[in-house]
Parts: sequence; structure tokens; C-alpha cells
Amino acid sequence: MDKFIFLLSEGIKNLWRNKLTSFSAIFSIFLTLVIAGSLVIISQNTNKVIEYLRDKYKIEVFFKDNVPIQKVEVVVASFNQIKGVRSTTLITKNDAEKIFKSQFGEDIMNLVGYNPLPVSCVVNIVKDDINKINIIPIVNKLKSYVEVGEVNYQGRIIFQIESYYQKFIRIMSLILVTVIFITIFTISNTVRLTIYSREKLIESLQLIGATRAFIKAPFIIEGILHGFIGTILASALLVGGLIFGNDIIISLFSVKIEYDIKLLILLLGGISFFVSIIGGSRAVSKFLK
Amino acid sequence: MIHLNNVSYTYEKGGGVSNINMSIADDEYAFLIGPTGSGKTTLLRLIYMDLLPQVGNVVIDKYDSTNIKQKRIALLRRKVGMIFQDYHLLDDRNLFNNIALPLHVIGYDKEEIVDLVAEALEEVGLDGKEDHFPNELSGGEQQRACVARAMIKGPDIILADEPTGNLDPVTSFELIKLLEEVNKEGTAILMASHNYNLIKGRGHRIIEIQDGTVRRS
Repeated sequence: MDKFIFLLSEGIKNLWRNKLTSFSAIFSIFLTLVIAGSLVIISQNTNKVIEYLRDKYKIEVFFKDNVPIQKVEVVVASFNQIKGVRSTTLITKNDAEKIFKSQFGEDIMNLVGYNPLPVSCVVNIVKDDINKINIIPIVNKLKSYVEVGEVNYQGRIIFQIESYYQKFIRIMSLILVTVIFITIFTISNTVRLTIYSREKLIESLQLIGATRAFIKAPFIIEGILHGFIGTILASALLVGGLIFGNDIIISLFSVKIEYDIKLLILLLGGISFFVSIIGGSRAVSKFLK
Repeated sequence: MIHLNNVSYTYEKGGGVSNINMSIADDEYAFLIGPTGSGKTTLLRLIYMDLLPQVGNVVIDKYDSTNIKQKRIALLRRKVGMIFQDYHLLDDRNLFNNIALPLHVIGYDKEEIVDLVAEALEEVGLDGKEDHFPNELSGGEQQRACVARAMIKGPDIILADEPTGNLDPVTSFELIKLLEEVNKEGTAILMASHNYNLIKGRGHRIIEIQDGTVRRS
């Protein structure tokens, strides 16, 4: 227990003993976390937008005239089993007549003397899938039913939205991974500079019989403390910025930036813990004989 | 206790030691004498396994240099105290923390550490200076602090590499006498020096090394 307390106190004291390198490491982590946090918030809000757009994706399926309504109901129920389908809404001839009247203000029965509108179904697509939604297989599956006469959908626009969304996810992931790697590299080099200045300490520890773990521990604790301080600063800036930014955005556009504060802090803490430990450990390991 | 069996080590750029056969007994006080570059430091490094022999082996108690793991070397060094010419004290820690460091490594309790450091400082005549930093001490005091740091963990042997190299003759004699006191308490001492006048006539074994080989043992 006393050994652990010693190592912990060494880690804390090292923060003060190496003020400049501590500042550099904390600042690197802070920058990474601000960038990573911003990406997460942008992603979360982009998800909201994509879900809204996907909510508008509709496939209209028109059934042949000679198919009895009981059979249509069975077929529509089977549509729900198709992968990528969120829900279906059956529109009977009577429903279609009402829709026609509400949209055109005329009763079709008065216009043509009978109801020519086909039985149809609106197929809604899943909206919370991170992967690209490919509507073509769904359309082909719907067309394969002999009861189906015609299938209408907004193929081109959906394809474009999905392509942009996938590009966005790829770019975001790439930026995040790059930023994390740059930070690990920066922290690793910062810690290495610290280690060069503490070469004498490491050598002395090796000479008096300290194990590698004992020598590494204060550096890793120091790294975790860098990460902890960086997380607090980055979280404060991001949350403060979001609260302040939302006040302005709400007053201007009547929308607000959505964010999950717990998830955000947890994610930033996780990233900083990861980069600090990897960065610190990598640097000391390279130095130890 | 320490056995070097047919030990050779050559550095990439030349120099080192060759075909060394010698033993140091428990409680022995021995001097390792030879000119600068003769291989004294290499021999000491081989004993505390900072270098591993390219030929032969070093055996210290139950530790054999043949295929020894890094963790075992760390454990071996807890039984070996070391003193260097340039002290190797940490400038950013006071005397108490410098001397307490080996005990933290071993895992002593805080109370034990306080008692043992006070005892060690008293033994080397530095009591009352525990709050001083190395740069506030004279060379002789720094070297006595190194003796305290080396002996505090109760090692089986203390290896001293030219410990008097930076000291004046009077302080050098005091240091040798201090190491004799430590030796009387049961710790073996192997002290390297190039100054024959300093060590002659003290009744201790002298091992002479020249050009990497033992000439007299």
C-alpha cells in the first residue's frame, strides 16, 4: 500500500517538477479532446438530420386491380420481414379516395363515376442505421411479388443522400483516428523529453533494483493526470460553448444543438485515458534497457 | 558469494575484460586497483549485471548471469549497494528522499523508512541534514550520503566505483574508514580505485587489474 502511495505521489509531484512538459502534454490532450468532442457533437447532430431525411424515404407500392384485399393484407404483412423495412401502411381504395379528396378537393366518384384508384402501400425505410441504406434490393424484392403492379420511389435523391452520409462518416472517422494518432505521438515525444531530463532518476532506480513496472508507474500516473486535467478543460470548454452557443442558435433559428453530456464526458475521458497511457508507456518503454 | 568464472566482455569499440576468474567472500573488504581504462568499471558492471558476460558467467548468491531475466536482475540489485564517483544523487530531492528511494523500491512502510533513514544518516554523520538538497552539501557529504543510500537496504555487498575520485585525500581516507565500519557490520565491500597510495597498508585484499585481465588477486 505504501509503495502504491509512493508511486502515486511521485506521479503527482512529477506534474509540478516538469511544469513545461506537463503543460505541453495537457495542451495536446486538450486540443485532441476539443477536436474529438466537436466531431462527436457534429456526428450526433448529423445523425438527427439523416434520421429526419430517412424518415421521408418512402416507397409506394401499387397493387394490381384483381388482387383481393385479404391477399393484399397478407402481402403487406410480409413486406415487414424484408431487411431494411421499418414499417408499412396499407392504403385501401377507400383510403385512396379520401386522400384524393383531401388533396384535390374533388370526389373522384363524382368525377369518373367509379373509384379507379388502386390499393397501395407505403413502405417506410429504417432510419437509424449507420451503414448506407441501399434501397434497390428492397425495391427489387417488392417488385418480385406477382400481386404488385408498380413501385414508385425517389431513387436518385436517396442514393445521393446516402452517399454523402457515408462520405461524411468516413471523413469524420479518418479525422478522429488521425487526431488520436497525432496526439499519441505528441504525448509520447513530450514524455520522452521529460524522460531525457529524468534520465538520472531512471538510471538510479534501475541501479537500486526497481522493476520496469515500478519505473514506468509514475510516468503512467503522470500521463493519466495529464489526461484527466485535459478532459476537465476540454469538457468545460465544449459544454460551456454548447450552452452559450445554443442560447444564440435557439434565438436565431429555433433549433438547438443536441448533445449527451454524460456520453461526451465519458468519451473524452476514455480517449484521454487511452492516449495518455499508450503515449506515456510507449515513451518509457523505448527508454528502458 | 560472488564468483566470476572465465568472464570476458568486449565493447564494440574495443576494451573490456577477458578471462576473469575471481571470487569475493562474504564479509570481505577488497580493493580493485588498476589504471584508468584497465577494466575496473566493466568488472563492477558485470557484477551488478548492467553488462552480461559474452563468455563465462557471474554468480552472486542464487543469481547466475546465464540467461538471467530483467526482473531477476532488479531483485539482485536489491542485494547490492552501489557508490559512484559522481554520486548519482537526485538533485530535485532532499537527502531524506534520496536515501529513502531504495526502501520505496523494496516496499518498506513509511514508519520503517523514517526510522531507517534516520539511522543511516546518523551512521554516516549526516544527521540533521535530511532536508538538505545535494547541491547544498560538500563532495564528502554527498559521498557519505551515497554510502547511506547504498547500505540502507542491508545489502550483501557494496560495489564502489572510484568513490574517492572527486574527494580530497583527508575526505577520501574518511570514506574508506566509513566503508570499513560498514564492512564490520557484515557487508562485503569491493572498491575500485586507481590510487594505490590511498589503499595500501590497510590490510585488505587487493585485486589488480590491467588491460582487462586480473594480474594479482
